[in-house]
Amino acid sequence: MSVTAGIDVGSGAVKAVIMTSQGDEHRIIAKCVSRIRRREIVAVVNEVFSTAVDQAGVEAIDYVATTGEGEDIDFATGHFYGMTTHARGGLFLEPESTAVLDVGALHSRAVLMNRQGKVLTYKMTSQCASGSGQFLENIARYLGVSQAEIGELSLQADDPEGVSSICAVLAETDVINMVSRGISTPNILRGIHDSMGGRFARLLRSIGAVGVVLMTGGLASDVGLVAATQEAINKHDKFGRPLEIKGHPDSIFAGAIGAAIWGDFRHMKLDLGGAAWTKNSTQRSSSAA
Amino acid sequence: MSNRKIIIEWALGVYEDLHFTAARETLSQNPNLKAVGFLPVYAPREVIVASSMLPVGIYGGGDQIEIIRGDAYYQSYICHLPRSVIELAQSDRLDFLSAVLFPSTCDVIRNLSGMWQVMYPDLYVRYLDLPHVRDPEVGGKFWERELRTLIDKLGEVSGHRASDDDLRAAIHLYNEVRWVIRELYRARSAEPWRLPTEELYLLLRAGEVVAPELFLDKARAYLEAIHEDSPPMKDRSRVIVVGTFCEQPPLGLIKTIERAGCWIVDDDLLIGNRMLTRDVQTQGDPVANLAEAFILHSEKTSVLYEPDPDGKKTLMAQRVRAAKADGIIFAAPSFCDPALLDRPMLRSGAEEAGIPCIAFKYAENTGQFQQFREQAGTFSDSIKLWGGS
Repeated sequence: MSVTAGIDVGSGAVKAVIMTSQGDEHRIIAKCVSRIRRREIVAVVNEVFSTAVDQAGVEAIDYVATTGEGEDIDFATGHFYGMTTHARGGLFLEPESTAVLDVGALHSRAVLMNRQGKVLTYKMTSQCASGSGQFLENIARYLGVSQAEIGELSLQADDPEGVSSICAVLAETDVINMVSRGISTPNILRGIHDSMGGRFARLLRSIGAVGVVLMTGGLASDVGLVAATQEAINKHDKFGRPLEIKGHPDSIFAGAIGAAIWGDFRHMKLDLGGAAWTKNSTQRSSSAA
Repeated sequence: MSNRKIIIEWALGVYEDLHFTAARETLSQNPNLKAVGFLPVYAPREVIVASSMLPVGIYGGGDQIEIIRGDAYYQSYICHLPRSVIELAQSDRLDFLSAVLFPSTCDVIRNLSGMWQVMYPDLYVRYLDLPHVRDPEVGGKFWERELRTLIDKLGEVSGHRASDDDLRAAIHLYNEVRWVIRELYRARSAEPWRLPTEELYLLLRAGEVVAPELFLDKARAYLEAIHEDSPPMKDRSRVIVVGTFCEQPPLGLIKTIERAGCWIVDDDLLIGNRMLTRDVQTQGDPVANLAEAFILHSEKTSVLYEPDPDGKKTLMAQRVRAAKADGIIFAAPSFCDPALLDRPMLRSGAEEAGIPCIAFKYAENTGQFQQFREQAGTFSDSIKLWGGS
């Protein structure tokens, strides 16, 4: 049995998981997430990793894999690109999924994969931030609600107000106008979710996604966004392809999970010998290369 | 600070200094010494040193210089290197050179030699017509005559015509330089995490503009220091980078490729410094020896004619095998005819041999690396997870 770690350094938060693997059986034994909030990224990574290691109660790790912006983490054994890890993590969390929709703080991307987790194609949102978590966070701040409340409030909407789906700046102006016009918070939030959901529906259609799509990343726990995306797909899908959007309580860890699982794959393939990380030493001996 | 860091800090300082302070200081310390600039890819540095002159590689301004005057000389479909070379010259950054050599790398560099003659009529400017016929009796004799002419002309500029003994001493010196570069490449291929390409490149770039003796000291010290505080070993794919022999990529691009998950274990960067693959004989006629070494023992590169019809097809597989690489990154400067015309032949040969490849283009002043990061990162993943690595 191998023990691997996956660390996903996002632009808004750092996520880490510790997993055990035996053949094709993978199990999460610890997980931890922390927002970066203007702190040094290395300090946040160390904090999140240490917490996960303590929670797991392990003394040694066979392969420490990073993903996202984690290329420079010096105790990592290897790094995997975000699409690769979200695809594999999505498949672990939802074995029926054929694609993942990764909605992060700064951008969103739709990734189509095969049954082994190999990326077949992908598309990202363009440079505009209007499909990102940072945008939603800004709106929540204007409205005086916490991020955890956004999803439930959005589901209470009875008359959603449309916002610009093109530009975050225009959308933010729209929201300020709505507040001054007395539009209720749930209707504003649902309008934003509808706008984002429409973009995601187009993104998923452009990669040819069919079947179950798992939403991953920081916004995947937003039930309002999941519902709005599903509705947008149902409304806009002119080809009639069945597409079901799902969330998962551990969706935010999908990148870290994928990294840990691919780390196990590399550990088995390379047969590096010895642990990549132990409580006493953080580096594998060079001779093992 | 460790020796390794001290050396790389020094090299970075030399690399970033577009006023060539290191070369200027060498000249001011040796009043009889003059400097000869040379453009990529290959110039016979032995002849320059034997003529009591300092060879100075001119590789443009990279991403550190704003092109104001250089763009007026070239159409938009010409690569970036000659623009920044002109910018360096027109801003008086190359005013310490007494001569400039323009090798026959491509027609852009040939045309640049003509421009130089017009712009700087008092400077000795020479177009080096490198031989493409690999027959010692034809190309060899031709190159020998060219070298003898160059020896005469540089002797007139420096006031010291190189003797055979001067040439033998310079050949010996450059045999040492090539040996240490080969050792650096060998060490990087064996343990790439100890010798990141970013550092190797900086050291070699510095070696293009300082005296060869100083470069030798630094390179030997660096070789000894690579086990000091080296970065930790990482699980990355091993790649060779092909096409970067003339206009050099920005340092950020080299860093990006390695950070994204690829160890560069062989490359074309600054290939002129190791163009001769074997030591040049120091016994006998030194000029004939230099000519013969170029004709018979040159690196295979896009700027030299390949007489074997299958040569381009098999070259990549040979290089990949030699470097124990997993894949190839074809990285060519935009509008670089030699690299881009060769690429389809090289790539199809590589793909027929089952070698994974990606390709992109850059310019020396490219400032955005996200697309390269994405390409190199996914390439590395595909090799590690779905390839043979």
